[in-house]
Amino acid sequence: MSLELLLAAAFGGSLLTYLLGKISSGLRDGFAVFVSVILVAMIAGLYGKIGAVTSYYHFMGLELTLRISPLSWFFAMAVSTLGALSVIFSLSYMRDRERTDFYYLMMLLINASMLGIVFSGDLVSFFIFWEMMSWSTFLLISYNRGSALAAGMKYIVFSIIGSMAMLIGMLSLYAVYQTVNIYMLSNLVSSASPGYLLFLLIVFGTAFAIKNAIMPLHTWLPDAYAEAPSPFTAVLSGMLTRMGVYGFLMIMYVIIGSVQTLNMGYGLLKFNYILAWLGAVTIVIPTFIAMLQNDAKKLLAWHGIGQGGYMVLGIAYGTNLGLAGGIFHTLNHAIYIVLLFMSVAAVQYRTGGERDLNSMGGLIKKMPIAFIGALFGISGLIGLPLTNGFVSKWLIYKTLILNGSPFLAFTALIGTWGTILSVYKFLHNLFLGQLPEKYKDIKKSPVNMQIPIVILSLTILLFGILPGLPLKVINSIIASFGFKSLNVTLWGIVSETGSLNTINLFAAILTGCVIIWLILKTGPKSVSASQENTYAAGASIPEGKYHYTVDFYNPFYRMIKPYLKDFMDIFYFKLAGWTQTLCNIVRKTYTGYVGHYVTYIVLFLAVLIFMQLKWSLW
Amino acid sequence: MQIIAMILSPILALIIGIFFLGLSRKMMARIHWRYGPPWTQPIIDIIRLFSQKSVTHGHLFNLGLILSLAGSIVVILFIPVGRIHPLSDSGGMLVILYMLLLAPLGLALSGGEAANPNTSIGISRQLILALGYEVPLLLILLALMTHYETISIVEIVFRQQYAGWALLSSPLVLSGIGYISIMPAILGIRPFEVVQAPQEISSGPMVEYGGPYLALATIQHALNLFIGIALFVNLFLGGAGNPLFFFIKMLVVFVLGIFINAALPRLRIEQAVQYLWRWPTLLALVGLIVVIVMKSVSAG
Repeated sequence: MSLELLLAAAFGGSLLTYLLGKISSGLRDGFAVFVSVILVAMIAGLYGKIGAVTSYYHFMGLELTLRISPLSWFFAMAVSTLGALSVIFSLSYMRDRERTDFYYLMMLLINASMLGIVFSGDLVSFFIFWEMMSWSTFLLISYNRGSALAAGMKYIVFSIIGSMAMLIGMLSLYAVYQTVNIYMLSNLVSSASPGYLLFLLIVFGTAFAIKNAIMPLHTWLPDAYAEAPSPFTAVLSGMLTRMGVYGFLMIMYVIIGSVQTLNMGYGLLKFNYILAWLGAVTIVIPTFIAMLQNDAKKLLAWHGIGQGGYMVLGIAYGTNLGLAGGIFHTLNHAIYIVLLFMSVAAVQYRTGGERDLNSMGGLIKKMPIAFIGALFGISGLIGLPLTNGFVSKWLIYKTLILNGSPFLAFTALIGTWGTILSVYKFLHNLFLGQLPEKYKDIKKSPVNMQIPIVILSLTILLFGILPGLPLKVINSIIASFGFKSLNVTLWGIVSETGSLNTINLFAAILTGCVIIWLILKTGPKSVSASQENTYAAGASIPEGKYHYTVDFYNPFYRMIKPYLKDFMDIFYFKLAGWTQTLCNIVRKTYTGYVGHYVTYIVLFLAVLIFMQLKWSLW
Repeated sequence: MQIIAMILSPILALIIGIFFLGLSRKMMARIHWRYGPPWTQPIIDIIRLFSQKSVTHGHLFNLGLILSLAGSIVVILFIPVGRIHPLSDSGGMLVILYMLLLAPLGLALSGGEAANPNTSIGISRQLILALGYEVPLLLILLALMTHYETISIVEIVFRQQYAGWALLSSPLVLSGIGYISIMPAILGIRPFEVVQAPQEISSGPMVEYGGPYLALATIQHALNLFIGIALFVNLFLGGAGNPLFFFIKMLVVFVLGIFINAALPRLRIEQAVQYLWRWPTLLALVGLIVVIVMKSVSAG
């Protein structure tokens, strides 16, 4: 089976879904799930064919190709699996809404274009698929209209700036080397001058930094994540944003190559070192801003930015441990953030779109599966041992400490402790504490929402206990970049400077829990008590809701709030304001009188004549 | 041998932790000119609590407490007690750091389901306090790991047995003083007793526990005392060749801590964070810079 067939199925499937929706909504739903699941199977079947190249079209003398590398297979697998789960999740979330046909068309189109991006073997295909992805994302972010339109606009403005930067890089590459094929370029570029390579890194890096929301180019993300329809936010946060990571890997380690990339610059002013510090800043600041959020989706969105920092930090640090950690963290982050957004979406579905963390609580007894999803999700996000997030962060920390970058390690570690505060608030305000009166009769989430949540929760645990499964593939990726492979077993990493054995950890925690549970069992049986039946030290707790949520960390907020404004966002808004003022001034010259226009033309000609007489330019 | 060590080290930790709890009550009483309970009082309490009935607020209420206690026990398996360190080849300092999270997080989950506002306030304070002392603590641990070029705690102890205590060695003395200055916060004793604060929020996270639950929570508290002090003894006082010497070192550290605990009043949570982020962080930061500079000087 060839790659052309795969992409044809992906794109054709999305269009066909749209057309089927005109006939019957049931048929459309079934077909959308069918297409997205069959793509997962097809990509899984490609595992053995790594290295295959197909040329599918000739365009103005350029050969457009598709190819499979370990990196693209890894990303494609994650894209298609998470895409399929999101489509399944959407079934009931999107039911009875308007423009559902359009929603599924865009959802599948985005999936298909992401597959196109990772499989493209030349920069022209890459750019075309990249633009398809950006524009369909724009349409889906603004799907809900209202404030979503502004969020979508912010996204597309940033996205276009990134695309233009990338286009400049591509054109210059074509002008110099007469080819756009990624593999041919990677052979040719290695002999280029460092200045030219730095130029390439900066223009491509701008595009990918915008997509991956690295500070200071992150401001589109919180609004876009919060306003997009929740099942699509899952896709957006899971893999779409991480196309930036794919791009960084492609430009840094495939096209330019590790030797050139890691030796660019002098001393502390090395390109990869600066990028690593940008990643570190991206970890710390958004994590602390997340604490101040009262909107469930915005809180997760800021963590989306923060976790992106870990990936960039790992990749940019440029050791085999760091690279493996960065790539693994991309996968892990996708899994748990999709899970978290799905849990929020399940709650939203039952509460009528409620996102405000201060007005909910106690849903654990009403929506246990959504709670389990959120619990596993935040455990992964924190990186608790036995979850997948732990292993990837461990790899990054280890290389930062042992290769002598304690300050980078400090920023990465402190990010974790900041995360705990905000995600506990997230979990507590949604699911724990007291249940408000109005949610007394709330129902469980539908089965098609429960299935993806359970699958993803188990995956978090599976990759946490047996990290060797994905790390084997990641090993082949870093080997293809020319790095030394890690010594990976199924349940850990063996090395002289500190090993990790997750199965022992798992056994120890499990045994500990079982023993304590048995001890608790031998004691007298406890009586179940309702939420009103609590000890208040003599004070009376008021009837109804008395849930401690508003300003959960108030003493701490008061300390940090003045320092945590989104200064970049304010700056961009000011910039937009200045541009508008400038344009308004220019607009004033268009007075509508023909006489004025004639004067302009005469003045212009006079200036030209003067210049010619004075300096004889022409 | 491994199995025996796995059973032995949590039991040792439990005995030492509970002994410390009893000792602290007796000593505090004597400093306050009271007679005080016998040092066996916590043991009596735990046995009594196990025979009493209690209420539960749901599955997470039980599970969180179990997870918290299990987390503390697993941390102890990673920390060398004398020469006993059954699990330390499965992960180093980083695993310990992250396993330490399970204890407060488990309590927070359990307390969260209790739906008692006092519990929630206590938990919010606990997490803020943890963030407060983690900043200097991480800097201190990074200084140690950078200096000894390892992420294994056994290796750190081993190196000190040749080269002398880290607390007395020139590059690490500031980090050591930093650790001493945040230890009351790690142990949750006064002046950092903001989480429990019996007079304000009726023991915070503990308020809904009774009977066997309270017994387990007390055991958890005892184990936490053990972990906080054992880490210091291992990281800065060179550990020990056998459990007895290890215990003596811990005892000295703990008794000194009690004197501070007994003499000082409780801070408010924001005062606590302000203190923690000022002097200890400064000490730890300078300590880390000194380590880096000394390292580059000796290398170049």
